Amino acid sequence: MFGTEGISKAFGGAKALSNVSFQVSPGDIHCLAGENGSGKSTLIKIMSGVETPDKGTIILGDERLTSLTPRDAVAKGVQVIFQDFSLIPNLTVAENIALSTAVLEKKKLINPSKNREIAARALELIGVDLDLDATVRSIPVSSKQLVAIARAMTQGVKLLFMDEATTALTRKEIDHLFGVVRNLRDQGVATVFVSHKLDEVQEIAESITILRNGEVTAEGPIENFDRKAIAEAMTGQEVSEVRLTPELPGDAPTVLEVEALSSTGRFKNVSFSVKAGEILGITGLLGSGRSEIAEALFGMAPIESGTVTVNGRAVKLSGPRDAVEAGIGYVPQDRLSQGLFLNQSIRKNVMASAIERFLGRGGFVKGKDISETVSNWISDLKIKTDNPENAATSLSGGNQQRVVLAKWLAMSPSVLILNGPTVGVDIGSKKEILEIIRDKALEGMAVVIVSDDIPEIVQIAHRVVVVHQGKLGAELSEADISESRLYEELAA
Amino acid sequence: MSYITPLEKRKGLKLWGSPNEIFLIVAIVVLSLIIGLNNSVFFSIATPFDLLRSSLIEILFALGLLIVLISGGIDISFPIIGIFAGYTTVVVMLGLGLDTYSLWIPLVLAAIIGAALGTINALLIAGFGLPTLIATLGTAGMFRGFLLSYIGSVYIANIPLGLDQFSTADLLSVETGQGTLARLHVLVIPILILAIAIAWLLRRTMFGRTVFALGGSEESARRMGMNVRWTKARIYMLVGAISGVAGILYVSLQRKADPYDLYGTELEIIAAVVLGGASIMGGYGTVTGTILGVLLINLIKDNLILLGIPGSWQRAAIGLMLLIGVVGQAISDKRRAKQATVIEEDAS
Amino acid sequence: MKDISRDLTRRLLSDRKLTQLIVVALVVFLGFSILVPDLFLTPRNFISMAFQIPEIALLALGVMLAMLTAGIDLSVVSMSNLAALSTAYLLVTQVTEGGGNVYVWIVIAIAIGILVGLISGLANGAIIAGIGVTPILATLATLTLYNGIAVGIRNGQSIIGLPPEFTAIGNGSFLGIPIPMIILLVAGVGVALYINKTGLGMQSVLVGANQEAATYSAIGVRKVLLMTYTLSGGLSALAGLIIASRSASANPDYGASYVLLAIVIVVLGGVNPYGGFGTVTGVILATAVLQMVASGFNALRFSQFFYQLAQGFVLIAVMILNTYVDKRRLKAKKDKAPQES
Repeated sequence: MFGTEGISKAFGGAKALSNVSFQVSPGDIHCLAGENGSGKSTLIKIMSGVETPDKGTIILGDERLTSLTPRDAVAKGVQVIFQDFSLIPNLTVAENIALSTAVLEKKKLINPSKNREIAARALELIGVDLDLDATVRSIPVSSKQLVAIARAMTQGVKLLFMDEATTALTRKEIDHLFGVVRNLRDQGVATVFVSHKLDEVQEIAESITILRNGEVTAEGPIENFDRKAIAEAMTGQEVSEVRLTPELPGDAPTVLEVEALSSTGRFKNVSFSVKAGEILGITGLLGSGRSEIAEALFGMAPIESGTVTVNGRAVKLSGPRDAVEAGIGYVPQDRLSQGLFLNQSIRKNVMASAIERFLGRGGFVKGKDISETVSNWISDLKIKTDNPENAATSLSGGNQQRVVLAKWLAMSPSVLILNGPTVGVDIGSKKEILEIIRDKALEGMAVVIVSDDIPEIVQIAHRVVVVHQGKLGAELSEADISESRLYEELAA
Repeated sequence: MSYITPLEKRKGLKLWGSPNEIFLIVAIVVLSLIIGLNNSVFFSIATPFDLLRSSLIEILFALGLLIVLISGGIDISFPIIGIFAGYTTVVVMLGLGLDTYSLWIPLVLAAIIGAALGTINALLIAGFGLPTLIATLGTAGMFRGFLLSYIGSVYIANIPLGLDQFSTADLLSVETGQGTLARLHVLVIPILILAIAIAWLLRRTMFGRTVFALGGSEESARRMGMNVRWTKARIYMLVGAISGVAGILYVSLQRKADPYDLYGTELEIIAAVVLGGASIMGGYGTVTGTILGVLLINLIKDNLILLGIPGSWQRAAIGLMLLIGVVGQAISDKRRAKQATVIEEDAS
Repeated sequence: MKDISRDLTRRLLSDRKLTQLIVVALVVFLGFSILVPDLFLTPRNFISMAFQIPEIALLALGVMLAMLTAGIDLSVVSMSNLAALSTAYLLVTQVTEGGGNVYVWIVIAIAIGILVGLISGLANGAIIAGIGVTPILATLATLTLYNGIAVGIRNGQSIIGLPPEFTAIGNGSFLGIPIPMIILLVAGVGVALYINKTGLGMQSVLVGANQEAATYSAIGVRKVLLMTYTLSGGLSALAGLIIASRSASANPDYGASYVLLAIVIVVLGGVNPYGGFGTVTGVILATAVLQMVASGFNALRFSQFFYQLAQGFVLIAVMILNTYVDKRRLKAKKDKAPQES
């Protein structure tokens, strides 16, 4: 038996997990579901010894522990396969699989044939055949994942966590992976699948635990849950159903028009349009292509065919500068590494994109104008700081997101695309950020919000399109938008 | 259940070598032909013998640098460590009256001094986590400053007997058509053995695989349980020792101990190792490639005159080769990165 | 103008690293004043330092610009020598004794020298931004190549006998201030204005702080890097011209040890090698500190090699200090919330 009992963990003031208990038996295939910010990563970190819980016990076999080191965790059979696999790209498949055993045994010499033996045996156990001499760098992502699993096997894994394992895989590869997981089950390994993808969850898992905001909102055998129920438990009903979206004037001009946009491996034949003042929601499960569409519209992903028209002009989007010139702004998904310059001042962050617009005589920047503009944005978006010279790291998540928003609003884009705008943002900030977006739309900006937060989409969007494996599915307008309808479409 | 076919296959023991090594061999052959056709003096037994003699010490330094580069770092202090160890060894031996025929004493002494200096690098890089370029830039300054301030800035011509004699220790000497003597120095053998030893070290020991792992992904190596810090420390200590030995051998072959020597030669050796296929990003590099790189550079350097190019253009030639090497690497790295994403799309 | 000076003073006092540097400067100054007052504390010494500081400070400013973008420029000395040689060559071949067109040729020669610097810097930028070679390797290669070209075209020889009208620049004073110092101050103000008041300059700080975010903010990273390395070339050329003017000669191998010195100065001056932070004031002040050390050592009869030892030591000491201060600051932050769970 593996699991936790009453685990709680907080970071600084923010609660990551509250009284979380779950159970997995050897040979189980369990799913841990929840969206970004639900606490599932923290739970995994606690079970693998990377973090220690403030309260509660960890159950590993016969042992009940209150804390764990990463070494202990591995020794007791807990392994996590993260999305980056932790493999060494320039070493061979055989070495990646077998070396950790050698390291554990404190071996000084390497025996290549022994390595191959160990690797071959591990691969056989999970029912996979790979070229042992290929360098990991050269094999496809799905194979890398299998190498990571095989490595876990050599370390005597009993409880295996797989974090968003199917994100980068094709259907065929997913089938193969599920076959491997079933092999693991037959070997007595307990597997915990951490996933968003409801249809896959239904296919492979036997039982499920759903987290939301650090708490278990539902659990049990998979038969008890239909997709809608899972989706509802994941996204919850906290924010009110009251729609924030204002009335859309009927004669608003079309600002953004996307036609038959395609990019191999990312999305296919995507078409939609957005009017001035309209808020379009693009949703889909993780890996559906929703992010790729957003990035392509900002010039950060290649577009192979199709057209993009902004304010009537066809635009070529070979990079962000093209996008900005066309009037497109983009609030990226990863606030910390893509959106902000953490150790630079708030002022510099807000001005990062608009610098060129503040050049005066002789190419010099108009300092006073910048200071004014920055203070205006700080008060407009209610960014909580006492001094714009403070570094961006001094702000909370919600305020940081407002800074990124300010940066783009300062560019007065015709179209603002936001990818996951309220991820990792506290509830209060969330509502305010959505209100800011709504107000800007009222002023005539066209808005595209890419998100998997259903209540958020329901609150704010005029229309919603759902993305499935790179293609657009249903398009819902005003009357049809409701949480239950969206869960249905997502799960379809 | 196999349906996955990988792009690249790497065999265990390469007899014919990677594309880069083949390119180097071809380049050496072609250049030799060009030089020889221009001036037939080139086609004599003296040429390869002289080439080897001028390359041997550099090969030793280059092998040390190779290990550092594979681990993802860079070291520009190694020639200074070399001359420091070489000069100090001579000073110490003469000071202690050890004007002996023994070769072992100076070799061991120089290795120890080199390792000690390397340990300082190890402390800064593995211990304090300083960036490798700046750390070794700093230690190079410190070592050189210390050497010239406190150990001596005087050129010593009367080096201990053993070292002096060793410079003419030839394996073979052959009379050439011109009536001169073509000499193959005996050092060829130990250096060849050392090269094989280092290749074995890199491929067959946990230390060597960890070095590669560090260059590939330090974080993953750490997660696999490899002892990153200790390995890094050992790298710089080892390179220090190798450099020390190279330094004393240099002193021997030059038949003098000049503390101003070897300064600035790191660029040439970096060029050789990079041309030999080692990536500055880490994780790649071979002993064969490194040796070929050194040979190529020395081939060009030593024979420019035969092509009618005055010796003062040597440095420019080295700079050009280094530039070609790094540009080539950057372009092929980019192409490989682009291919990787394409493959994954094909699979879908 | 007032707005700029107010900005400057505010920034100077709030920068902890800068105040630390000022303290160090005072300590060094007082130290040597006490130890060797008759040699150190003389007007002659200070004027001499004022003549020697500019060439190194200009090189350091070039390195600083590269470091702001999280890169490095190791080729500054080679570019400086190449520029000096170009100018010297023109002067020596075109200027005849007492010919009336001396000043015209001086202007042309200076312009050519600076052009050589800009072009070699641009080449660096193209290799780094265009092809994508990392700055360390790229500038290691170009440093060798440029040095090699300088040695090759002159067969290793220096050019001597530059006209007195030219050497007057490097050795003369205007209103009591050495002309090289005036050049440095003008250049320093220029660089400071570039970093703080121009679009590309402000963007280069952001590129160094987080290149990915810079791309996502639609900053033209390539353009920024090209300009950065070109400017570094220009500054190096200025340094070279001052060196040539002061010594009435141009030497292809001059200042080989200046690369280490430039990096020590830059790091001491508070520039972050990982990008995103650095001030002109810090760099110039750090140059002054190191020049005081050099002059003090000289007065104390320490060898130039001891000075090199000291440089290496200072570089490492400052880096270790910075690492510890940063580590402590990071630890304090880690105890706050990580954003996602």
